[in-house]
Amino acid sequence: MPRAIWSGSISFGMVTIPVKLFGATESRDIRFNLIHATCGSKLQQKRWCPTDEVEVPWNETSRGYEFAKGQYVVLTEEDFEQLPLPSKHTIELSAFVEEQEIDPVFYEKSYYLEPAERAEKPYALLLKALEEKKLSATASITIRKKEQLCVLRPHKGTIMLETLYYPDEIRQERSSDLDRVKVSEKELGMAFTLIELLKKPFDPSEYRDTYREALAQLIEAKLEGKQVVSAPAARDTGVIDLAEALKRSVEAAKKGSKPKPPARAGTRPARRRTRKVG
Amino acid sequence: MSEVGDVLAQLDERKPRLVLNVEGHALPVTNLDKVLWPAAEGSSPLTKRDLLRYMTRVSPWLLPHLAGRPLFVTRYPDGINGKSFYQKHWDEPPDFARNISIYSSHKEGDGDYLICGNLATLLWLSQMAGLELHPWFSRIDPQPDAKGKGRKFSGSEATLDKSVLNFPDFVVVDLDPYEYSGREGKGEEPELHRRAFNRTRDLALRLRELLTGLGLQTFVKTSGRTGLHLYLPILRKFDYDAARGIAETIGRYALQQWPGEVTLEWSVERRTGKIFFDYNQNSRGKSLAAIFSPRRNALGTVSMPVAWEQLEEIYPTDFTLRTAPDLLEERGDPWAEILSAKQDLAQLLEERTA
Repeated sequence: MPRAIWSGSISFGMVTIPVKLFGATESRDIRFNLIHATCGSKLQQKRWCPTDEVEVPWNETSRGYEFAKGQYVVLTEEDFEQLPLPSKHTIELSAFVEEQEIDPVFYEKSYYLEPAERAEKPYALLLKALEEKKLSATASITIRKKEQLCVLRPHKGTIMLETLYYPDEIRQERSSDLDRVKVSEKELGMAFTLIELLKKPFDPSEYRDTYREALAQLIEAKLEGKQVVSAPAARDTGVIDLAEALKRSVEAAKKGSKPKPPARAGTRPARRRTRKVG
Repeated sequence: MSEVGDVLAQLDERKPRLVLNVEGHALPVTNLDKVLWPAAEGSSPLTKRDLLRYMTRVSPWLLPHLAGRPLFVTRYPDGINGKSFYQKHWDEPPDFARNISIYSSHKEGDGDYLICGNLATLLWLSQMAGLELHPWFSRIDPQPDAKGKGRKFSGSEATLDKSVLNFPDFVVVDLDPYEYSGREGKGEEPELHRRAFNRTRDLALRLRELLTGLGLQTFVKTSGRTGLHLYLPILRKFDYDAARGIAETIGRYALQQWPGEVTLEWSVERRTGKIFFDYNQNSRGKSLAAIFSPRRNALGTVSMPVAWEQLEEIYPTDFTLRTAPDLLEERGDPWAEILSAKQDLAQLLEERTA
């Protein structure tokens, strides 16, 4: 198990359960460094002040909020420390809800909660109660200076903590006119048949990041000094595809099955008309 | 004295009306001090005399691009803020102007179409405040790459379909940014602004890279308003429908590659925030504003050809009736060789997909 990223306690009513928090997910993307192509050195980032034309050490930096173009209000470390963060070391449970009530769009990141030493008993009690009642607990937690909404849910014999987005962090739904679209019974029947055909239990082990695998192979081949066989860049493949598509459109035209544009006489857009005279 | 110098000298005579002698033709010009472009943003007004001067000065470069092409003209008799007319047919043009008879499916019969083959015709159009020139992408001359194609254009649609006028010299793409600056009035089209133009330019450069990858040479010019026009010169083996299919295929590909930048949408609302890739001008009887054509724009901007290497340094308002002739004399026309750069699209595609 990696190092805990947070430790504190769950608190509800009179009960306090010391716990540790571990990340439950990790990105497996292959990371690259930026290299100077001509000499192979790893590039460094420097903080540069364009006014004084000097490199700036960390102790001379502060954080500024841009309230208007080019104008900043500057906050110091002391300013930040004054901010109220009541849940700094506690996960204060506020309510118990049914898991289905939380729309998946709210979920941000998953963590495992583990009991600290000698806290197994109350931890197991809470876990069992949540399992039996099929409930999750909402709470707040402060991770890296940011207070976040979260939910505690039982999952395969442990308690998971899922941080949630605040409601104002969820973008407004896009309005849609789909209600007005008419579909026939027959069309719907066809859609049902198709869905039935592809219906199966969700098995995440079936899905792999094939791009990452190919990239890893490429790196390995480079390391072994092998000639890297042409793994065509996306762009090159694109060019070939475009050539094929163009050839097809040209051949279609030759055969007389002329590709019709989406709008010919009759449905000309208003804009074109105005443009012609204007 | 050269023809251009001779006409410019005549226009220097500060009379409101003159009879110009252009290549031996007498051309009456009137209301020479009428303002067509009112003063704007610190620039003085431009008059009909200024338009005639401009057309005269650019004519050595412009006329070759108009040669043999039916020409439509947008006239602004009361200046750019007044009413305008899109004129296709001319009843009684002067003797020096060439008229040809072409079947028009719209009229369901033959109509007379103008071909601008000399300076006198060009200046006659300016006299009628014909600011915007819209030449066809096809032309009546089958030399050198459309020998054997029909030269009869009237009588029926079928005759016109088989004729050389159904085979364009170019596949064209009109890139039109629909990113609004926020200063537009309700219902107005997006105005020219830096961010939108930069995005359009970047898209044009990507398209060029894509087409260069296929071995295709493209040419670019400013539209004279907010966007860019790309021309791909091709051997005349494909008719307009095929040319439109080619442009549409490129457009669909671009949309798939850069969905955040490109739109092919017909509804103007849905184009918002993106660059409209218009392939529909590849159609007989449709056109884009000609190279060097003035546009309806307060600053008197014109559609200007640009060398690809310079595209990142220019801005559409760099090119106006005032500035374009000097630039042209200094640098020449980057599009001068466009008809010699014609490409055998069928063969190139064959090689690429073999």
